[in-house]
Amino acid sequence: MNAQKGKQWQRLRIGSQVVFTWLFFFLLLKSGGIAVGRLPYTGFFFYIDPLLLWVNILSGPFLQAFLLALVPLLLTLVFGRFFCGWICPFGALNQFFTWLGSRRKEKKIGVSHKSLRWKYVLLIVLLVASLFATQWLGWFDPFSLLTRSSSVTLIPGLNFLTQHALEIGADNQKLAGKIVKPFYDFSRDFLLTGKQRTFMQASAIGLIFFALLLLNFYRRRFFCNVLCPLGALYGWLAKYALFHLPLNQNCTRCGLCAGHCTYYGSPFQDYLKSECVLCLNCLKDCPFAAIDVRLQLPRAGRRPALDMGRRRVLAAAGCGMAVAALPQIGVSKKSKTHAFIRPPGAVAEKDFLKKCVRCGACMQACPTNAIQPAVFQAGLDGLWTPVIIPVNGYCEYECHRCTLVCPTHAIDNLTLEQKKQFKIGTAVINRSTCYTYADGYNCAVCEEHCPVPDKAIKFREVEVNNFRGKPKKVQQIYVVPDLCIGCGICENVCPRTDAPAIVVGAEEEQRETPY
Amino acid sequence: MKRRTFVKNGLLFSGALTMPSLLAGQAKADGPLVAQVQGESPYAITQRAVAEIGGMGKIIARGDVVMVKPNIGWNRTVEQAACTNPEVLRALIELIFIAGAKKVIVMDNTCHTAADCYGHSGIEAMAKKAGAEVRYCDENRLATHDFKGETLGKWPVFRDFLEVDKFINVPILKHHGSSGLTIAMKNLYGILGGNRGKLHRDMGENIADLARGFTSHLVLVDAYRVLLRNGPVGGRLSDVELRKTVIASTHIMHADVAATVLFNKDPRHMEFLQAAYSRKMGEIEIAKIPLKTVSI
Repeated sequence: MNAQKGKQWQRLRIGSQVVFTWLFFFLLLKSGGIAVGRLPYTGFFFYIDPLLLWVNILSGPFLQAFLLALVPLLLTLVFGRFFCGWICPFGALNQFFTWLGSRRKEKKIGVSHKSLRWKYVLLIVLLVASLFATQWLGWFDPFSLLTRSSSVTLIPGLNFLTQHALEIGADNQKLAGKIVKPFYDFSRDFLLTGKQRTFMQASAIGLIFFALLLLNFYRRRFFCNVLCPLGALYGWLAKYALFHLPLNQNCTRCGLCAGHCTYYGSPFQDYLKSECVLCLNCLKDCPFAAIDVRLQLPRAGRRPALDMGRRRVLAAAGCGMAVAALPQIGVSKKSKTHAFIRPPGAVAEKDFLKKCVRCGACMQACPTNAIQPAVFQAGLDGLWTPVIIPVNGYCEYECHRCTLVCPTHAIDNLTLEQKKQFKIGTAVINRSTCYTYADGYNCAVCEEHCPVPDKAIKFREVEVNNFRGKPKKVQQIYVVPDLCIGCGICENVCPRTDAPAIVVGAEEEQRETPY
Repeated sequence: MKRRTFVKNGLLFSGALTMPSLLAGQAKADGPLVAQVQGESPYAITQRAVAEIGGMGKIIARGDVVMVKPNIGWNRTVEQAACTNPEVLRALIELIFIAGAKKVIVMDNTCHTAADCYGHSGIEAMAKKAGAEVRYCDENRLATHDFKGETLGKWPVFRDFLEVDKFINVPILKHHGSSGLTIAMKNLYGILGGNRGKLHRDMGENIADLARGFTSHLVLVDAYRVLLRNGPVGGRLSDVELRKTVIASTHIMHADVAATVLFNKDPRHMEFLQAAYSRKMGEIEIAKIPLKTVSI
């Protein structure tokens, strides 16, 4: 194939990457936030992910949407890792950063392939661990990773920067201000309709994300080549793929084809089907039209793939077992109490940890910014699972978006009416700090906001001595536990500045008792 | 409310002398008129109420930028009666434009998420249809306003409310746990930023200071649907009663007194009206207020 045609193929590949990346972010932004309502296909990228299919098979009940994941698996047997090169939005981002970092002088030929093995090791560790109830695939799965990083860091970060930059400009009365003002007005009225979102772990998740992007400067498509478990799965299948890049007699063994190869290979020297993501840069780079594109049955005895070796596979499986046990023998697994509340519809904790892929789609969908990635509240294996932090946001009574967007149904699909009845916890008043008890003031902001039609927070009028010792009639608030659904708006709006005088805990939560 | 009940209330709260004037529906007391109009269409009664107090032309000057501040506090529908009726707003916005205003802005600092409240209440769509600009509160656009009150001094206010020529206060009449009722004076909480919850201590005093420290050029109380219990959020349709009434006045306290009576409560028992009365903002007895009731 000549270079001209190669260039067209390369353009087609880039076009496909742009389209799918756009689609990914479009669906993510539409899944919640400012958009009221929901597109039916927000989970599209999750449903074509075989790793999540595996998660679903292990945790059941089976969701038919995951049958879609068989499509890329079957296509991989034909085209190899086309998915990584043409579809995956995180792959596209990595490719973009690779391109950004590619201008300096770098070693292009003879870079070791050893580090490419890590992703296979990781895949085996994660798959084996998931068999032993410790499901950590979501930490590394590219869609979960990208969704989580976008929801928690990228989108709120961009929102802050735009808002701040525009604010500085709009407040400037000089010429600069006059230029920026119309943009500011437009942006304020049409784009920045939501309040600034804040997240626990925003910096940690963000730093990991940006580190992964910057590592592309160190090695081309670092994440895809070295870490991605989904890439490893496709790589393992791609060994048997029909797609092939054979050389013809034009080849002068010049090595130019390795110039932009994502895994530092070259079709003439070390063509690895398991690593080739069909970026087709080599077609464009070859000046002699020496590389052909062909679909052919792999020849017996020669399957160009990275050699893992039986010993490494067994060692990785052993590591998976060992690592799976660690979170399961923590003291939190036996404890009757737990200091977190889950979003409405969350299944029983044990199942929840198996089903949740830590993608953070619920965090993006939550209009009040209540759903947050857990740190270690839910144990080591609960890292980045969704919890509701009422001081940051409350569970909106007229909303069930998180239950709609969860791709694995760790947060079960609830209708709005079901969700309104779903009790996620119970509010408790701290009588030593509540104004109506401690200071003898009338307050009742929590009562005002309580969304249940028959209010779960009520007050009774009593005569007390206030802090000056004078008798005074005060409306003291109290909670009716049977009516409370644990939405947390009371904790959110409590005017105390040290700590809320009314807090929601998991007491009486509706999902089955954990463990 | 039926006229009969209204008159009964009038008898309760007024002296024998004022009774004939109430029956005749004519004003004898001093100060700006309070018009209370009852009728089937929220759109028509709004127009009539504004006409009764002298028309929009008296309030709006040509080229004015006008802020209309409804209650959009909650993620609730029109039927649940937690937010101002969009039809009332439509009538108002149209009148404001006819009076020659350059621009009408509709906004409120919501309690629930703004996008949900604006959308679910039907206010955003209706206001845009009527030609108004709909804005969300932007936390970066706060300025300190000095209310110079007895308990409420300086407090952050969204600049949008300070940068307009005229301010029109369009609350919905409803039950409120801590203050008893929320009407026009309480509706002003929606211009505030900051930790508004703090102002719920000594709430009556703060409400009065707020209404005195910030001018409402026109007050129009929507009492078409009235939330009787479990306010200010409500949610249950059995708590809502059709009253098919609006009250218009340029005097914020008198509008609130009239609305309180309409709710069958005694204004003298309302903390915030007592506080306003002690600040000499107006009369607390319905009999001393120039009130005109109309039924169409």
